Amino acid sequence: MPDEGSESVGFNPGEVIIEHVSNSSIDHPIFELPTVLGINFSVTKHVLMLWIVAVLLFVLITWSTRKYLKQDRPIPTGFMNALEAVVQFIRDSIVLPNVGKKFVNTWTPLILTFFFFIVTANAFGLIPMFEVLGVVDRFILHTDPESILNRVLHGGATATGNYNVTAALALITFLAIIVAGTKAHGFIQHWKNVVPSGLAWPVYIMLIPIELMGMLVKPFALTMRLAANMMGGHIAILAILSFVFIFSEMFQSVLAGVGVGLVVSLPLVVGVSALEIIIVLVQAYVFTLLTAVFIGMAINVHH
Amino acid sequence: MSGQRDHFLAKSLESLQENIRRSGPAATASYTLVGAVLFLGGIGYLLDQWLMTSPWFLLGGLLLGMVVGFYEIAKAVWKR
Repeated sequence: MPDEGSESVGFNPGEVIIEHVSNSSIDHPIFELPTVLGINFSVTKHVLMLWIVAVLLFVLITWSTRKYLKQDRPIPTGFMNALEAVVQFIRDSIVLPNVGKKFVNTWTPLILTFFFFIVTANAFGLIPMFEVLGVVDRFILHTDPESILNRVLHGGATATGNYNVTAALALITFLAIIVAGTKAHGFIQHWKNVVPSGLAWPVYIMLIPIELMGMLVKPFALTMRLAANMMGGHIAILAILSFVFIFSEMFQSVLAGVGVGLVVSLPLVVGVSALEIIIVLVQAYVFTLLTAVFIGMAINVHH
Repeated sequence: MSGQRDHFLAKSLESLQENIRRSGPAATASYTLVGAVLFLGGIGYLLDQWLMTSPWFLLGGLLLGMVVGFYEIAKAVWKR
């Protein structure tokens, strides 16, 4: 909601932008939950978004698949048709070429879950539902600042733009790589496969730590790429929108701000938003593809 | 007309997919280079903060990150 800053004495674009892309504060959670083992389980906005995405996907996909399985015709229609096309695309052109025929059905479910979860969480970040809710609240509802509705309004809505979320996803990839290698070659052989075989022993002293660090770096790169990409687009949009307030402050006239907004900000934001739609799909695709590549590397060892 | 457009779209999608699939290892390696430098440099920085040894662990971490990153690139390049 870009009109927040205009009310304060000086408009601080950095502060407003950070508030809009970061998670809501744990001190003012949406729902209070108890602290277990030193971990505060209270629901912040990104956690709420994760729940919404998970529940929505579970209900939608289970419902449409069950409906399809019950019908007599083997031809899917509507949403199921689209779903089937995506599932088939991921199985045949992401998982199969990387993982191989033997393990394709073992790893397709995980990679499909990754894809649907990431693409939905990414796409939800593009829908300005909380911004619209904020406008409604400000001009029509006038709720109490401590109400749940008001707490929901603070912080970004893109759960995949949070490094903790992407780190958790990458951790699943990391474990999946180990499980895949273990399933294909056995536990000990998987760890032996980490380094190439048949080298002189002094080389191993250097190679083993480097390979182990490489193992950790891969999920780290996955974490950074997804979160940074999802956050970057939002920051760009908000920075362009903040021109409106910067210019109205600079020239002490709302008209100047609105003019700059209409001529510069609006077309640019439309363009960046269009790019964001592509990024939403490409980042989900890249994450799933790289997960499949890494799992495939653990299964088909080429040393 | 619609059939032709479908065909065109399908062909573009296919070639995009093929290109992304082929660039997969290279993209992995390049991200690994950046990731390794950031990751190990970050660990070095934190160790420096903790042990008050600035800047030695940071420098060591950055160097090690470059070694690991270039090793991953070398692996991707000389695979075939």
